[in-house]
Amino acid sequence: MTDRSVASSLEPVITTKPLEVESPFRRIARAFVEDRLAVLGLVLFLVIALAAILAPWITPQNPYDLAQLDIMDGGLPPGETSFATGGTYWLGTDQQGRDMLSAIVYGLRISLLVASVSLGLAITIGVAAGVAAAYFGGRLDALIMRVVDLQLSFPAILIALILLALLGRGIDKVILALVIVQWAYYARTVRSSAIVERNKDYIEAARCLGFSHRRIMFRHLLPNCVPPLIVVATVQIAQAIALEATLSFLGVGVPITEPSLGLLIANGYDYLLSGRYWVSLYPGIALVVTIIAINLVGDRLRDVLNPRLQK
Amino acid sequence: MKLATTRLAAAFVAAGALTAPAYAQQLTIGLKSEATSMDPQFHNLSTNTQVLLNVFEGLTKQDAVQRLEPSLATEWEAVDDTTWRFTLREGVKFHNGSDFTARDVIYTMCRVPLVENSPSSYTIYTGTMTDVAADGDHAVIITTDGPDPLLPTELASLPILSADALGAEDEVTYAQGGCEGMGEVPQSPAFNSPDVAVGTGPYTLDEFTRGNQLVMSRFEGYWGDAPNWERVVMRPISSDGPRVAALLSGDVDMIESPPIQDIPRIEQGGFKIVDALSNRIIYLAMDQEGEAPSLGGTNGENPLLDQKVRQAISLAINREAIAERIMGGFAVPAGELLPPPMFGTSDRDVDPYDPERAKELLAEAGYPDGFQITLGTPNDRYINDEQVAQAVAQMLARVGIQTTVDAMTASQFFSRRNAQEFPIYLAGWGAASGEMSSPLKSLLATYDKDAGMGVTNAGRYSNAEFDEILREAMTTIDDAERETLLQQAGTIALDEFGIIPLHYEQTVWAMKPELSYEPRVDQYTIASQVESSGEGSN
Repeated sequence: MTDRSVASSLEPVITTKPLEVESPFRRIARAFVEDRLAVLGLVLFLVIALAAILAPWITPQNPYDLAQLDIMDGGLPPGETSFATGGTYWLGTDQQGRDMLSAIVYGLRISLLVASVSLGLAITIGVAAGVAAAYFGGRLDALIMRVVDLQLSFPAILIALILLALLGRGIDKVILALVIVQWAYYARTVRSSAIVERNKDYIEAARCLGFSHRRIMFRHLLPNCVPPLIVVATVQIAQAIALEATLSFLGVGVPITEPSLGLLIANGYDYLLSGRYWVSLYPGIALVVTIIAINLVGDRLRDVLNPRLQK
Repeated sequence: MKLATTRLAAAFVAAGALTAPAYAQQLTIGLKSEATSMDPQFHNLSTNTQVLLNVFEGLTKQDAVQRLEPSLATEWEAVDDTTWRFTLREGVKFHNGSDFTARDVIYTMCRVPLVENSPSSYTIYTGTMTDVAADGDHAVIITTDGPDPLLPTELASLPILSADALGAEDEVTYAQGGCEGMGEVPQSPAFNSPDVAVGTGPYTLDEFTRGNQLVMSRFEGYWGDAPNWERVVMRPISSDGPRVAALLSGDVDMIESPPIQDIPRIEQGGFKIVDALSNRIIYLAMDQEGEAPSLGGTNGENPLLDQKVRQAISLAINREAIAERIMGGFAVPAGELLPPPMFGTSDRDVDPYDPERAKELLAEAGYPDGFQITLGTPNDRYINDEQVAQAVAQMLARVGIQTTVDAMTASQFFSRRNAQEFPIYLAGWGAASGEMSSPLKSLLATYDKDAGMGVTNAGRYSNAEFDEILREAMTTIDDAERETLLQQAGTIALDEFGIIPLHYEQTVWAMKPELSYEPRVDQYTIASQVESSGEGSN
């Protein structure tokens, strides 16, 4: 009885073990969709990204073309009709007669553009520096990591403010500032996981086969450092959006005739006491929703990719 | 029941009557910026002047619309082109009890060059004086090195000090380059003490705590009408929001410069708003000297050298819309550099809004498709400056001039402006003297730093005929003749669109409903001119 029960309980386990190996991507995707909130975040983010990409075709006005603005339409509340064109301003207008709906969609476009370009550049620089530091070790490692330490010891906003005060306004300059502020996070993350991987047998094997340093670093070492990198990247992209908004709010970011979300909020700030809430409120909501959506996705990815948290 | 109600009402009225006078004893004012010193000869700055005019008085003074009035001098006359005679008021006492005489006037003029580390010196008023001499105790004769028609106006900004309180000897004699009998001259920090800050004004200084408050009390021996308030407290509240909040919550009785966008809310709260046209003009200046930076689409030429282009810019601007939409009605479209009927104005019409004509003019000048330009502006100096600049950019874009707005904080703007980094910029000018020679001399005269001409003329407008007429005006003693010359000069520059006036700012004060204040063109907030109408609030 006892023997048989043990045997029968063991038997199915052995026989039902799947034979085909699931790809890591599918495993991650399957685990990801288990969390409904994360899926909601992803859908929201995709909608926002799509709207931002298609902005010139879906908005009623190009808020950056000064000739399309009319100050006679300035400060209209949501739902008012334009004096100039007869169109409706669903979210009202700012002081310059800029349609808030169009301005928000274009603002999102700037926010996402700035965040993704700076993310790409910062990852490239950070990963190269981090992998090189871990792989070669020694003086190069010490040098790179001291620079990283030095930079991480200052608040990001402080460094960005100083840089922009020196460089002046402009989208390219904001991107440059964000890259300089953010590469250190990636370098630090990649280095720590690369150091763990460096001493494993497969790297040793690759060395014995006489592969070049570059091939070992980028073909063998790097792919195994990707999961933590993805998690840091999702957190950092939300950070980058918030940082850009902060810089523009403080008046050192984008030019005033091409407002991003942060600058729209700053413009409306003067009118809060006088009841023109819509100039600040709606860009603020757009900013919060975007950041929350990205964070939901990022949180779930962290759970899925972290082996310690797996059931 | 009815009787009880009536009694109750009577009790309230009685209580109101009892508390009203007690309340009227103190006036608290929230100021936008703070005086840098209590020394009236330290820093020639309007924030200092408006506070110190409560404690000190000049020989002359300007009323609310900057007309000259007698103050410590009862009358004055030009004896000849270079000599002025001032008759001094008799029976005037300083706060320390000493009599006001010609000796105090001489001491005051003598001390001006002896003030150390002055950020903006009063020597611009005394530099031309070759002699200041007493003619008896109650008359002073001032000799200048050339005709100086503005001397009586300028002396309104130069308050008289007490020779006794500052430790002068019994005999003070004026000499350019060093007076005699000055004794030990106290420097500016000493004026924080009420024993040194002694004037003839309606209020005496009690306490000055930097960043916190300035307290003054009524001077019982004042020669003029008895001052309204027992005690006046002035508090610097530089942020707009907190200053408005302080008024709304009752912490202060009156504030200066509430932000325009908050005015409807202040009025809803039952407060009184008064406003006046100020002497500050907001204008556009254009680079008219060779190659201009930050231009595009012009093959390297500077289109602003062409008068037609400058005229097109002026016609492209809808000044009414800016005054109405951006300035909330608290601005008046401008046709010249001072609002008429101030001295030297010629009632010139405001340039009309005519975008079609502007396009034609651009085409005639050879720019049918317009060009690209950068408009420089400060973003924290004038009322809604950055918003006005954006509106201008919008209007220029409509006639084909693609305009980028480069906005920055005032200090950065002024240094870049002076380095001629902008092909076109927005700025403002307040005429402290209240007459036309001030803006003409600074904004339009040919640039000559050493002569003090055109010092703010970063667009480098230059016209020899204009310079000639202005120079003549500045040395003409006869008022009518001088006014005609100033009108001529102004017309020359404006006909050539050497500068483009936008609007005159309006200065706003907000106060409790039971107070009244006659709004001043010079934007000063002077406590001694705040009146209580005596009626309770409703």
